[in-house]
Amino acid sequence: MYGRRGTQLLKELSSCETGQLPALNTDTFDEVIKECKAHSSEVQSLTGKIQEEGLDLATTRNADYFGAAIHHYSIIRNKRCLMAYMYNRAEIIQSLRWKVGRILPQEISVKLNHSEEEYFKNHSSALESYMSDLELDLTVDMVPPKDPYIKVRVLDDIGTLLLSDQSPNLARHSIHFLKRTDAEQFISQGLMEELSD
Amino acid sequence: MAGQSDPHISLFSAAEIEFVAEDELVEIVPNISMEPLNFTCGDFGPFRPQMPTEVPMWLAVALKKRGKCVICPPQWMSVDKLTQVLEAERDTEYAFEPLPFHYVELSRLLFDHAHEDIPDLYMVRTLIEDIRDVRFHKLESSLKLINERVNAVKLKNVSAMEMNIVRPFLVRTLQSFYKLDSPQMIHNPVTTAYRQAQAADRGPRLELRRRHMIDLLRR
Amino acid sequence: MASGSEEGTELETEDIDKSIRLTTDVELLKQAWRNEKASPEILKFQADLVQRSKEQIQLMEDTVEDYEGNGTDPLTISLYQMDLDRYQFLLRSYLRTRLQKIEKYTIHISKTEMWNRLSRPEQKFAKRCKDSMEKHLTQSVLSKLPEGYRSILQQSASSDAEDMVPEPQLDTFVFCKSNQYREVVQVGESGDEQFDFAVDGLGVIRYTAIRELVETGKVDLV
Repeated sequence: MYGRRGTQLLKELSSCETGQLPALNTDTFDEVIKECKAHSSEVQSLTGKIQEEGLDLATTRNADYFGAAIHHYSIIRNKRCLMAYMYNRAEIIQSLRWKVGRILPQEISVKLNHSEEEYFKNHSSALESYMSDLELDLTVDMVPPKDPYIKVRVLDDIGTLLLSDQSPNLARHSIHFLKRTDAEQFISQGLMEELSD
Repeated sequence: MAGQSDPHISLFSAAEIEFVAEDELVEIVPNISMEPLNFTCGDFGPFRPQMPTEVPMWLAVALKKRGKCVICPPQWMSVDKLTQVLEAERDTEYAFEPLPFHYVELSRLLFDHAHEDIPDLYMVRTLIEDIRDVRFHKLESSLKLINERVNAVKLKNVSAMEMNIVRPFLVRTLQSFYKLDSPQMIHNPVTTAYRQAQAADRGPRLELRRRHMIDLLRR
Repeated sequence: MASGSEEGTELETEDIDKSIRLTTDVELLKQAWRNEKASPEILKFQADLVQRSKEQIQLMEDTVEDYEGNGTDPLTISLYQMDLDRYQFLLRSYLRTRLQKIEKYTIHISKTEMWNRLSRPEQKFAKRCKDSMEKHLTQSVLSKLPEGYRSILQQSASSDAEDMVPEPQLDTFVFCKSNQYREVVQVGESGDEQFDFAVDGLGVIRYTAIRELVETGKVDLV
């Protein structure tokens, strides 16, 4: 059936989890491009035939005309599928700038073609130049702020330490109110636990 | 994308709705002395022990966490008031009682951070859960009334969190009816004839029109 | 914008309290942020408000720094820092929300009067977005298609209109709420259906019906 491969590309993309990028399906993509070329030569030969028969292309409504129309609409359908595929991928790719920064990790960049990599670079640099015009980094504060301080219980003797805003004696079982950024390293090492209220 | 949620499905995350709620004012009784705080969002204080003062919820919670104040639960959070609200909610089929726009988030913040300041904590918590359930059930059944193209839906007294939960479903439903029931979509001659017959008959047509705006206040 | 309305005579105490609170720039920015997040199209850039917000944030950053230097108690400092964090989140999220729309509707915006709703830096960003997207789609799709099907704007050379440009859906439904203004809007095509914000409170209405009221700040999207 005409147009089925193009639809397949989109199904593949939409079956992925939101924001996840599947590897570019170059084989199917190229197949669809080939289909478009085949449809195009059908259109050429059918319209050519109409003209050879000395008929007016604008008014003729014979089998050849409708045949050509079907091929024409098949190209359009394929074009829409290919464009939607690339466009939606590009939207995911540009969103990566916010999530992973300006360098794409290897496991993501292998899923892109050359043009997509270039697009990512261009889009990132547009964003960076916007942020520098504003003198404001927009990649931080992505979610509403929470209290920067948390309540923690010390699980093992750490001793007196110089933290960013205080130097508490972090004795075992003592409870403190520390900056989240100061406490995080101790929590991940299992030396402290966060207390809920 | 700009790294945020899909603009047409969920506009505001639960965290963003809570962020907005945290600006609501609440009364606290400090146990410390502190000079006035001249914030970008307004001036608060001065703070003196045992002297009640109004502050935004986020500030109240921050002071509470540090053991510097007692939070006074708002009036609507008393057992009496909530019992009345619950009864009234149960008495009506489609109407919603007036409660603060952010009652869900505010009560949750207080339960999480100031539970010892709430008299009859257990009762209050149960009442609010019941009220939420009744209201949500009503909201669900009133949405079932939408079965044709409508131009507006009235949601008087529906709260921020309730609204945010039904938003994706409601917007999609309204849009689908709007699109499918648009004049351009109707090519069927039978339907057209039926519509013309209706148009000729002034009475039922007006009746139908009035129903185009669904009013959840209908009692 | 909160003062001097003709409807002022009917304001109740609660409304007055609300309009006084609305006078802080933080509150105005929050309103702009909510409207921007909830409207399908990009709204006019709040140039003055953003400028003032940036200045206030800078001032507050300096104040916090001074406090840290002069031995102000850590509690006070942390509270000022929290106030600052909230303001910064609002400003950044407001600007991000706009970029999100610019990215999505860049071609449409650059061809319509919407272009004038953008700040200078946003226009620069939009232009670069449009160029890089066009270049990418031309390279990877359009140039490989048969002649007559290579336009980014039209499906084919025989299309009557620019039928490939993503546009904001203006007839979508939005949630809106009254603020201190008393407004009544027609919501139907025939004008016999009304939504009275003072009486009806919260509503879900087609965006096109209240578009102007959002622009003039008389109705809030939520």
